[in-house]
Amino acid sequence: MRRLCLILVVFALAAQPSRAEDRLDVVASFSILADLVKNVGGDRINVVSLVGPNGDVHVYTPAPSDAKTNAEAKILFINGLGLEGWLPRLVQSAGSKAMIATASDGVAPLQLGSAADPHAWQSVPNVRIYVANIRDALSSADPADEAVYRANADRYLKELDALDAEVRAAIAKIPSDRRKVITTHNAFGYFAAAYGIAFLAPVGVSTETEPSARDIAVLIRQIKLEKIPAVFLENLSDERLIRRIAAETGAKVGGTLYSDSLTDEKGPAPTYIDLMRHNIKALTSALGN
Amino acid sequence: MAAQLQFNDVTFGYDRHPAVHHLSGEVARGALLAVVGPNGAGKSTLFRGMVGILKPLSGAISLDGLDTRDIAYLPQIAEIDRSFPITVFDFVGSGLWRSTGLFGGIGEAQRKRIDKALAAVGLTGFENRTIGTLSGGQLQRLLFARLVLQDARLIVLDEPFNAIDERTSADLLALVKHWHAESRTVIAALHDIELVRAHFPQTLLLAREPVAWGATAQVLSAENLQSARRMCEAFDDSAAACVIDPPSRAA
Amino acid sequence: MSLYAALVAPFTDFEFMRRALAAVIALSLGGAPIGVFLMLRRMSLVGDAMAHAILPGAAIAFLLYGLNLLAMIFGGLIAGFLVAILAGVVARSTGLKEDASLATFYLASLALGVSIVSIKGTNIDLLHVLFGNILAMDDQTLLAIAVNATITLVVLAVIFRPLVIESVDPLFLRTVSRAGTPAHLAFLALVVINLVSGFQALGTLLAVGLMILPAGIARFWAREITGMICIAVASAMLSGYAGLVLSFQTRIPSGPAIILVAAVLYLASLLFGSVGGVLRQLFPGRHLEA
Repeated sequence: MRRLCLILVVFALAAQPSRAEDRLDVVASFSILADLVKNVGGDRINVVSLVGPNGDVHVYTPAPSDAKTNAEAKILFINGLGLEGWLPRLVQSAGSKAMIATASDGVAPLQLGSAADPHAWQSVPNVRIYVANIRDALSSADPADEAVYRANADRYLKELDALDAEVRAAIAKIPSDRRKVITTHNAFGYFAAAYGIAFLAPVGVSTETEPSARDIAVLIRQIKLEKIPAVFLENLSDERLIRRIAAETGAKVGGTLYSDSLTDEKGPAPTYIDLMRHNIKALTSALGN
Repeated sequence: MAAQLQFNDVTFGYDRHPAVHHLSGEVARGALLAVVGPNGAGKSTLFRGMVGILKPLSGAISLDGLDTRDIAYLPQIAEIDRSFPITVFDFVGSGLWRSTGLFGGIGEAQRKRIDKALAAVGLTGFENRTIGTLSGGQLQRLLFARLVLQDARLIVLDEPFNAIDERTSADLLALVKHWHAESRTVIAALHDIELVRAHFPQTLLLAREPVAWGATAQVLSAENLQSARRMCEAFDDSAAACVIDPPSRAA
Repeated sequence: MSLYAALVAPFTDFEFMRRALAAVIALSLGGAPIGVFLMLRRMSLVGDAMAHAILPGAAIAFLLYGLNLLAMIFGGLIAGFLVAILAGVVARSTGLKEDASLATFYLASLALGVSIVSIKGTNIDLLHVLFGNILAMDDQTLLAIAVNATITLVVLAVIFRPLVIESVDPLFLRTVSRAGTPAHLAFLALVVINLVSGFQALGTLLAVGLMILPAGIARFWAREITGMICIAVASAMLSGYAGLVLSFQTRIPSGPAIILVAAVLYLASLLFGSVGGVLRQLFPGRHLEA
């Protein structure tokens, strides 16, 4: 009996490394997506993020190592909705046979200017759709682990539901006439639509466009007229412009809102849920009183 | 007479090839010396060495206590940016650099000096013209006016009468004689042998090595001129390192 | 809309407009004279070169201190100085001319900067972070620009004479003075300071544009350098004011608006300028008696 147990243990141990080597290699286009994929895939996958923490996914220039990463991956997860303008050429040149999974499939897109607004992850209900898409993509590439993915996804969906409730409760505490903010980056359209806070911005979607004096004047007039309480900085663009607008209107500078990327481990937003929690905390503390 | 300039076995050149080879001798104070020789004889190189732009390959020049910055130098080809927006007055005024320095004002006294200098070269009335509007001859007069303002004890002119008209040459030559009369030391490189014979009491005949040096009549003999012409113009890439040898061989 | 409402009201109503105007005036005072010398010394493209040359300095500061603006500006200044001075020294002591010398150094500098940034792993566009916007003038930046303009004017007054002589007849200055090289290096230092502080306050387009375009404009109206500098400063200020008004009345961003106005002034000068303007050349009028 003891010998049998020993043999079984040896077999089990021998089997472990081979199971670990079976991990599915996948790639996600940017850090927020990579975090979602990690939560669904768990330890059955290896996920690499092309645009890392604090990176700017709108204007990313791929490096040759990215092409290599792509070529070796089984699935390439992208956000879609026009976020990754640089991706099609990378995929083509990498000659990768990876399946491309668009996380935002099925999300009802909002418009921003003449194009679709890609920042769908700012609304938690949308992220539920993302998670479902990710789970389905992983399951179709690795049917053996479908049960694991389903279990992970269900667990994570519960966490997301709790997060959504948290956000709604926090916003309910803000007086309805104070539910408006200014930020530099027009990335919060979905948040605004889902949770009822108005976001105004002096510049367009990408981090590249420059405002005219008229744009800023109009914004300042509006802030003063509607008594908007707070302006927020976004972690990638010119904070001086925002501070200037705040100084001239008497609005409060409310801190930083994270929109397009996670921070690294030491920062306040290393995972998606942390990112949303940080944002809602910043919003409520600036708008609450 | 005391020496203004002393050449102590000096050699000047480029990339270790000598352009002026083992020159020794003295230039007396107040001398009017012509330096003559075929193309490539080393005249311009020697002048650049005199004013301190070129360092000697061996030997030295001593200047009787004179600072190289107090020598007035007229190069053969002026590297002047003719398109620069500066008036004749201001350009000539830069000749006063040694006395005004960075901040010295151009007061009444200086203005008079500038006016006198312009008159001496026949450019009165040109004060407000920009230098780009001057002809070749007028530009040369301008450069001479600047030399006048420099008020130097030693004046070095590299082919000052090249490519200018007769009347300008005559006027500027008169200025040179005037400097000589003021006991300034003047050294000029010249191509016009007849002009040298007529106006310059001393001559150095240079053909990389000194061929002859002394009173013009003796130096510019047919035999010496023949010697100088035989000098080879090009540098010899296979030449060995120089050992001091008698300076008599000219080729 | 009344003339007052169009031309004056934007500045009385909005503080950011007043600050932008102050910034443009200070930049004109410091940058335009420098631009005149750059143009006369055939260094007009040095601005663009410098915008890239400062990258390794900012990158190293970023590696050491993260996204600290002050550290990156300081790093950028050091890198800019090194490139400018090395280029200047190499140009004077070897046969290589200034433009080739600068080109080699700035390209090497840019490559170095890009490599340093990629070591860190993020793709953050450091130069974009470093470059500012004239509509976002805070107290600190405004003070920096004003100090910079003052330093520039003072140093320029000191080196004016040797700089002029060195530009028109460098050999002459070499024979009568040892001030040529220090004056030249001081000038390069001023160029770097003006450019780097201009970049971080106003972005590349404005910083370089308000140096070079006014110099080009002045070329067509003045025969002599002092007059040229005055006209350059005046046209820079005029472009700044008119550009801000334009950006206020339309949706054109402020930097491009100012440069567009300057370009229009340049075109007008090119055609109608009294010194070498095209129309003057085509229709010179009757010649004088003597």
